[in-house]
Amino acid sequence: MAVVDASLPIRAVGLSKSFRATLAVDRIDLTVGPGEVFGFLGPNGAGKSTTIRLLLGLLRPTAGQVLIFGTDAADAVAAHRRLAYVPADVALWPSLTGAECLQLLANLGPGIDRSYRNELLQRFDLDVDKRCGTYSTGNRQKVALVAAFATQADLLVLDEPASGLDPLMEQEFRRCIAAAVSRGQTVFLSSHHLAEVESVCDRVGILRAGRLVEVAGLDDLRRLRRTEVTVAFGPSAVVPAEELARTAGVSAVRRTSASNLSLTLTGSPAATLRVLAAADVVALDVREPSLEEIFLDYYGSAA
Amino acid sequence: MTTSADVAGAHGHGEPGRAGRADWAALTRLALRLVGPGIVIVIVLAAGLSAVVVIQYGYNFADPTQAASLAVLAQSPAIRVLFGAPIALDTAGGFTVWRTGMFAAIAAATWALLTATRITRGEEQAGRWAVLLAGRIRLQELVGHHLMILLGTQIALGVALGAAMIAAGATARGAVLHAGCLMTVGVFFASVGVLCAQLMSDRRTATGLAAGLLIAGLLARMVADGVEQLAWLAWLTPFGLMAEVEPYGAGRVAPLMVLAGYAMLAGALAVVSARHRDVGTGVFDRAGTRPSRMALLGSIGGFAVRRTVAAFAGWAGGLCAYFFLIGLLARSLTAFLTANPRFAEMAAQAGFAGLTTPQGYLASLFALLALPLGLFATTRLAVEAADEVEGRLSLVFSRPVTRRRWAAVQLAVLAGACIGLALLAGTAAWSGATIVGARLSLWEALAGTVNVTPIALLSLAAAMLALGWAPRAVVPVGAIPAVGGFLLTVLGELFNWPRWVGSLSPFAHLAPVPSTHPDWTGAAGLLAVSLVLATAGLFAYTRRDLRS
Repeated sequence: MAVVDASLPIRAVGLSKSFRATLAVDRIDLTVGPGEVFGFLGPNGAGKSTTIRLLLGLLRPTAGQVLIFGTDAADAVAAHRRLAYVPADVALWPSLTGAECLQLLANLGPGIDRSYRNELLQRFDLDVDKRCGTYSTGNRQKVALVAAFATQADLLVLDEPASGLDPLMEQEFRRCIAAAVSRGQTVFLSSHHLAEVESVCDRVGILRAGRLVEVAGLDDLRRLRRTEVTVAFGPSAVVPAEELARTAGVSAVRRTSASNLSLTLTGSPAATLRVLAAADVVALDVREPSLEEIFLDYYGSAA
Repeated sequence: MTTSADVAGAHGHGEPGRAGRADWAALTRLALRLVGPGIVIVIVLAAGLSAVVVIQYGYNFADPTQAASLAVLAQSPAIRVLFGAPIALDTAGGFTVWRTGMFAAIAAATWALLTATRITRGEEQAGRWAVLLAGRIRLQELVGHHLMILLGTQIALGVALGAAMIAAGATARGAVLHAGCLMTVGVFFASVGVLCAQLMSDRRTATGLAAGLLIAGLLARMVADGVEQLAWLAWLTPFGLMAEVEPYGAGRVAPLMVLAGYAMLAGALAVVSARHRDVGTGVFDRAGTRPSRMALLGSIGGFAVRRTVAAFAGWAGGLCAYFFLIGLLARSLTAFLTANPRFAEMAAQAGFAGLTTPQGYLASLFALLALPLGLFATTRLAVEAADEVEGRLSLVFSRPVTRRRWAAVQLAVLAGACIGLALLAGTAAWSGATIVGARLSLWEALAGTVNVTPIALLSLAAAMLALGWAPRAVVPVGAIPAVGGFLLTVLGELFNWPRWVGSLSPFAHLAPVPSTHPDWTGAAGLLAVSLVLATAGLFAYTRRDLRS
């Protein structure tokens, strides 16, 4: 049994879900603290949406437990009073207009900030008098986003929320996340769009084949990984390739041309810098790998 | 279901730019899979039932004097209106046509139009046709192809039915004509379904329009049989044309040809109208933009009412028209049966007892009301299941709304709607009866229709049970109490099945109100069973995974 802490937006303990023989989610332990923006990364089919549906009580866990603000996720009334959700694939009633859907969703919860909703409608440029049946994927997503942000709920659970939005609207979406964070709202954001997570999240969990393989702060995650260093030497310089290869923390030393060399660096760069200081270095390029590269590292070529 | 193999097959070999044989073969496999086991059930039911009636006729109506006297039944316009013209009842085939023909035709027509809109507009609306049409197949060709598949299913139905009747001992010519009638009625309504699917941009509206035409066809047939001046109406409705054929009487081929002509016309219109629209739209597309109406969006109950109103109005319209007509006939039928007690006895044997007073006559017909009411409740709960499977409830249940409350409110609204429909149908029957001067009070009529609502509620509860365990089985399971129970009662009385078999039907536990007092114990029993089923369904629905 998980320890009940009503201040914790999300607490999952040993969460598992099987569909007949398939184990979709495998013993996930996860805590998301108040005010945190948590990125939930994983390739298609890793179990992101299944995990989210477990968090919402839409699916019943095979084992383990989910607490939303200290309440069991199965207790929809208590758990969802402070929560808003945007599904990955938004389905709305085709005969209702956007405004009617928003009205219904608003009335099913504890209420919304109407002036903020109107502002959101303007910002997302949504024609709410169109029947939902005629909306594109992106427009349906906008309806769900407006409905969720307008609640100003303490916890926003967003399942690939920007996947159908154009770049302009994606920017608008990031602004909304920033506004939510400044208000102290907690955000749980699932994505396989790395730039999105990189730009808004404090902490990231990586899901692979139903297992949470890593949870780290964005900085931790980067530091855990290598730094790519490219060095250009002067035309007459002696390239210290062998010495570098023996240096602690250095790996994958490659001569890319007669006077160029690349290496991968982990941990402290001090020893490497000492070696390079002795050589005639004309240019040094140090690059932090993108989250995408970190991500690919987890999944290797199978990603 | 569209599988990658089927889609890949759509790009098979052939002339570049035109669909080749491999494309059509793949499409045919796909369409047949969609038509699925439904057609097999329809064929087995229609052919099996007809064969059983042919065989049983030998046991029950072997006495020729008894059989000959049946022919006089044709003199009563009311009998014709209700059960179709009784022609050649002295033959096994003639009796079978009279007893099962209309039922089988309605069943085949309903199946055909539901399937037609499902495999065309339903698939298109779900976006799967866009995938198929990205290949070399054109929309018009795809529509035509699906029409052919539906035609094939009806031919299979016709062949099976004709063969079953002949094998059971009915005369071949009549059996072939009768099978031809049923087949053509099926083809007609399949074509109408495909046509409506071209006109309307969503499946439910298309199905509603096609179902409206079916009901109009039935009412037109009843009017044509009942009002001599309007007899020509029979030539405008498939059900009337079918009766004109008289497979075991005159054996006319001309009406069958006219019916086939209508079917071809509807099919041709469907294919032509497919040319005048874009994929994903209908010829009469609803405006994409309309002023938002915020009424009844404030609560779960309000929304449940809002979603039920249009369907309620449609069903109410059909039921009121039917029962108004029934009311209008109250006097002529009861007068005829009082004068000819022999026929009252015959009708009793066919499952309609006590037809000699307006109360008895209406009590028999009010029992029929349980079928549409049960189907209304079941199909409306199926909408709930569709909302879930298509993912619309994910957003709802992410709000502070419990599934138990949501489903319980839907059940309450649908139960209320069933009672509302019963009250409207009763009022319509009373209005008709009052116009012709039959002695029937409004109270009696309302008591009669409300009396059958426990069966509708039982259907609703069975549908809820299915929703709790297997949302895709809502319609078949929900139909069991009303449709299955009705069949069991009618067949049990016709063939003198043991009493305990008949008592399995909920209809056995209803008193014929208003001709007698309500069977309070029976009604309470039905309601208790409904309550247990609905509670079990709610319990399962609350605890299972939400589908999407």
